[in-house]
Amino acid sequence: MLATWARTLIVQASWNYDRMVGIGVAYAMEPLLRDLPGGRANGRYAGALKRVAGFFNAHPYLTGMAAGALARVEHDGVPEPQADRLRRALIGPLGSVGDQLIWAGWLPLSVAVGLIVAVLASVPAGVVSFLVLYNAVHLGLRSWGLAAGWRAGIAVAGELAGRLMHAGLRFGAAAAPFAVGVAIPLVASWLLREFGGSERLGAAIVGVLGLVVTRLLVPPLSGVRLGLLFLGTAVVAGWLWQ
Amino acid sequence: MTLSLVRVDDRLIHGQVVVGWGQALGARQLVLVDDEVFANQWERDIYRVGVPLDMTIEFASVEQAARRVPDWDASSRRTIVVLGDVAAAVRLCELAPEVKRVNLGGIHPAPGRRQRLPYVFMTDSEAGALAALAARGVEITAQDVPTARPVPLQELT
Repeated sequence: MLATWARTLIVQASWNYDRMVGIGVAYAMEPLLRDLPGGRANGRYAGALKRVAGFFNAHPYLTGMAAGALARVEHDGVPEPQADRLRRALIGPLGSVGDQLIWAGWLPLSVAVGLIVAVLASVPAGVVSFLVLYNAVHLGLRSWGLAAGWRAGIAVAGELAGRLMHAGLRFGAAAAPFAVGVAIPLVASWLLREFGGSERLGAAIVGVLGLVVTRLLVPPLSGVRLGLLFLGTAVVAGWLWQ
Repeated sequence: MTLSLVRVDDRLIHGQVVVGWGQALGARQLVLVDDEVFANQWERDIYRVGVPLDMTIEFASVEQAARRVPDWDASSRRTIVVLGDVAAAVRLCELAPEVKRVNLGGIHPAPGRRQRLPYVFMTDSEAGALAALAARGVEITAQDVPTARPVPLQELT
């Protein structure tokens, strides 16, 4: 169990377009399969690994949940086609739940809290509080996911849709925008603390203009192209200025 | 017409469908049409997890879906139908002539399938079945996300 947990930390090391994290998840769940009836010499051990090492994808922090559930299913003797369907069915939910929970919730929330602490207390305190806060949930999610997957097996959806996840998603959806909203003006005033009125006004105008132009142009023009366009404009403007 | 999209995607419900197409089309309802998912409680539970709170999900077999197509067409709720493979889409179109457009969103490698686009792999018989549908007036295009160019079936041979 501990070995599997540690192995999920490097689950993306063999990431590739063809199989995504498949090989990583197979490597992570291998310790959980060693005590399958018949041991490593048994066909089930090799077969299970081979199937999982095909195409698989999930949010990296939830790969433990997949490894746990898929290993439990092998121990429960679920027929192979069903184990395969479980593996394929998990890809979508483990991706979307992880993205919502971490990339759209906990990461912006931790960054915002870190910035607030950095402005109100000190910069090192801000960095430390971000790292502690973010990783507490990151590592907690990995541990909870692996345990829940291993416990639930084929009924893993019950855990994924359970009260704890639901509360986490709701909290992240509400708290992350709020914390970012508090952090932005705080950080802006802190960055501009040495400037006078006209520079502040200038910075505010640039900020608002940038936001408006980005909102207007980003779907038709991709973010990267827009960034290049801004860079080009800045270079031309700077050259003309001289 | 509020049956906004009929899509073939072997990943069934995932981010591109829910976020990409769901938001672009303003869809409020998802229908997962797959005989095996429909038959398995645990499988339905897993796919239900991937659906955001502001959308509803329904599960149907191909036969049931064919009977419901007129209802979805008449409903005021924009609906996205997702199917797992070309065979299911062909059966649905044969049973429900109301379906006039089919989107190929993701069909991944399997034995006998040849790459047609980075996200579309088909066997020759799958491509042939789709061509037969197209000959009967169903518009078939491949398009993974709403911002991409729709690729007509003729370019996928």
